Amino acid sequence: MALLEIRNLHANIDGKEILTGLNLTVDAGEVHAIMGPNGSGKSTLSYVLTGRAGYEVTDGEILFDGKDVIEMAPDERAREGVFLAFQYPVEIPGVTSMTFLRTAVNAVREHRGESVFDPMDFVKYVRERATDLNISDDMLKRAVNVGFSGGEKKRMEMLQMAALEPRIAILDETDSGLDIDALKVVADGVNAMRSPERGMLLITHYQRLLDYIVPDHVHVLANGQIVKSGDKALALELEEKGYAEFLENAA
Amino acid sequence: MQPYLAQALDASSTFAGAGVGWIDALRRAGADAYGEHGLPRRRDEYWRYTNLNALLDESFKLSETVPAIGLPTLPHPSVAGLATYRVVLVNGRVQPKLCALDGMPDGVLISGLEDLLAAAPDRLEPYLGQIAPLEDMPMAALNTAFLQDGMAIFIGENIVLDKPVHLISITAPGEGAMMVQPRHIVVLGPKAEATLIETHITATGGSSFNNIVTELQLAEGAKLNHFVFQEEADTSVHLSGTAVSLAAGSFYDSFVLQSGAAIGRSEIRAYLNGPGVDCRLDGVYLGTGKQVVDNTTYVEHAAPECRSRQVYKGVLDGQARGVFQGKVHVMRDAQKTDGHQLSRALLLSPRAEIDARPELEIYADDVKCSHGATAGELDEDSLFYLLSRGIPRTTARRMLIEAFLSEAIAEIPLLAVAEDFSTHVRQWLTGHIDQQADGAGT
Repeated sequence: MALLEIRNLHANIDGKEILTGLNLTVDAGEVHAIMGPNGSGKSTLSYVLTGRAGYEVTDGEILFDGKDVIEMAPDERAREGVFLAFQYPVEIPGVTSMTFLRTAVNAVREHRGESVFDPMDFVKYVRERATDLNISDDMLKRAVNVGFSGGEKKRMEMLQMAALEPRIAILDETDSGLDIDALKVVADGVNAMRSPERGMLLITHYQRLLDYIVPDHVHVLANGQIVKSGDKALALELEEKGYAEFLENAA
Repeated sequence: MQPYLAQALDASSTFAGAGVGWIDALRRAGADAYGEHGLPRRRDEYWRYTNLNALLDESFKLSETVPAIGLPTLPHPSVAGLATYRVVLVNGRVQPKLCALDGMPDGVLISGLEDLLAAAPDRLEPYLGQIAPLEDMPMAALNTAFLQDGMAIFIGENIVLDKPVHLISITAPGEGAMMVQPRHIVVLGPKAEATLIETHITATGGSSFNNIVTELQLAEGAKLNHFVFQEEADTSVHLSGTAVSLAAGSFYDSFVLQSGAAIGRSEIRAYLNGPGVDCRLDGVYLGTGKQVVDNTTYVEHAAPECRSRQVYKGVLDGQARGVFQGKVHVMRDAQKTDGHQLSRALLLSPRAEIDARPELEIYADDVKCSHGATAGELDEDSLFYLLSRGIPRTTARRMLIEAFLSEAIAEIPLLAVAEDFSTHVRQWLTGHIDQQADGAGT
């Protein structure tokens, strides 16, 4: 059974159809890259998979581990093991990063039937993961993402992924706004999370990220559908030729 | 005759200090001002959004008996654990057996008002009724007609009071609807410093009308931190009017938590009379069911180079209604005024309502003033972010509501008060929000 199976997915925002029959299968242990031009439906796909309000599925199926995801609330999906690294992580004044992380990790662990952390043990658990991502204790004491630089926000997303240990991780434009050093730190974080039990979906406009996180499969998303699939060579081809070919075909 | 006035006139001859000329005159002035005006109505500028029709039929009778009750367990453990000078009122009357006033330093007087009216009225004469403007505060005028008991504090020049004063006001109505009219006065001499904590609770289930007036006088360089917990039962009408007179260089910091009463109102009028005053008026309010929670302020900058800050934050659920009316009045001589006010309300239900009217009235030309009001629901982006990490919806909502209020609570300089405010907010959320969130869709 595939880890994630998307069949003929149609989805609307405000009555406008953005996904127009998308098919995609991700097996455990695989990293898939989804590339596409602006407006092709990349971010919509990530929000539909995670259940954001306002994104209406009108047809098709999303099966995660064989379970119908569409009927699940966003928090249920997350506890089942779906994770989204946001393109624009949200700032939450008044909630410290440490409290936020502990509340999330304990909710997920409780769901899995694992023991929950007390605050002291949790500090240790987080520090082990934070060090690799170059995240200081000071950042963990501050309010979630408040006053963080673009790179800090993305590293904090990676820390959340490492702490939550999802079954499938969706990374939405994780490279956007990062300089090359920050990109390497983030890519190392992602590569460290690759495992035979975990699937990953990298959503990106540019090929650059894929120099650092090498995908098993590359798909082109245009006008709400996967229009071409291949291996990492496809990404290089897109880098060279751009997306014009696919947009013309659709038009 | 206006409602309640006959009760005041009938009882006044039995009140302490009756027969003392200025006290009789003051009570009469209160009766006259209230008699002229009557209960506030919507046409009154400061009562536009809070309606007192519940009081019109005069069903509330002046409390005549005080039940013998012990000190109840207070809803705020940290403050209860502090060493304090304690003044306890039951039904508006000071209960000496429940007070703890041992070890007052020289130059400090903390007393029941009634005792002082009988024993040393001269000490009160320069202040009582001189700070709260009866013509602008009709309920204070009514309170003045009933002037009888409450708390009086005098702190002499340069004295920093070693412990906070904790005023515990317990309303214990019997069978019928009961009215109490407590009056408090605090006088700080030059450079005197003190902290006053007030707890307002209801001990029994009957309905009550609690009409409180507090007059505060701060001399040059004096400093007062003032915290109020208003947690009366939902069978209560709680109206509090505070007037504070601030001399040059004085500092007044007020923080009011209102979550109790069917109608809960805190009106504060601050008069910045000398240069260099620093005045902070902050509040947090929580409303549910059909509660009305009103915070009304008037800040008068009469002297130059004063600073005033107001931040009121509220969370309203069910059909609760919040009111914020705040006016900053900058008079012509009050150059270099720095005045800010902000009202922020979080509406958790489509039937909750906030009426916010921040106002600036400025007659000086070199000032820095701002005001603002926001009202809205929980931020959807923030909520989704928390949900997307597996945090259950109920918990996520609580985290965001606590976060909204935590900024205000973080400003509280006394740790015990901040802790109890936080605890109270959490308990309130457990009692009201969790049920509401469980019923809500995604």
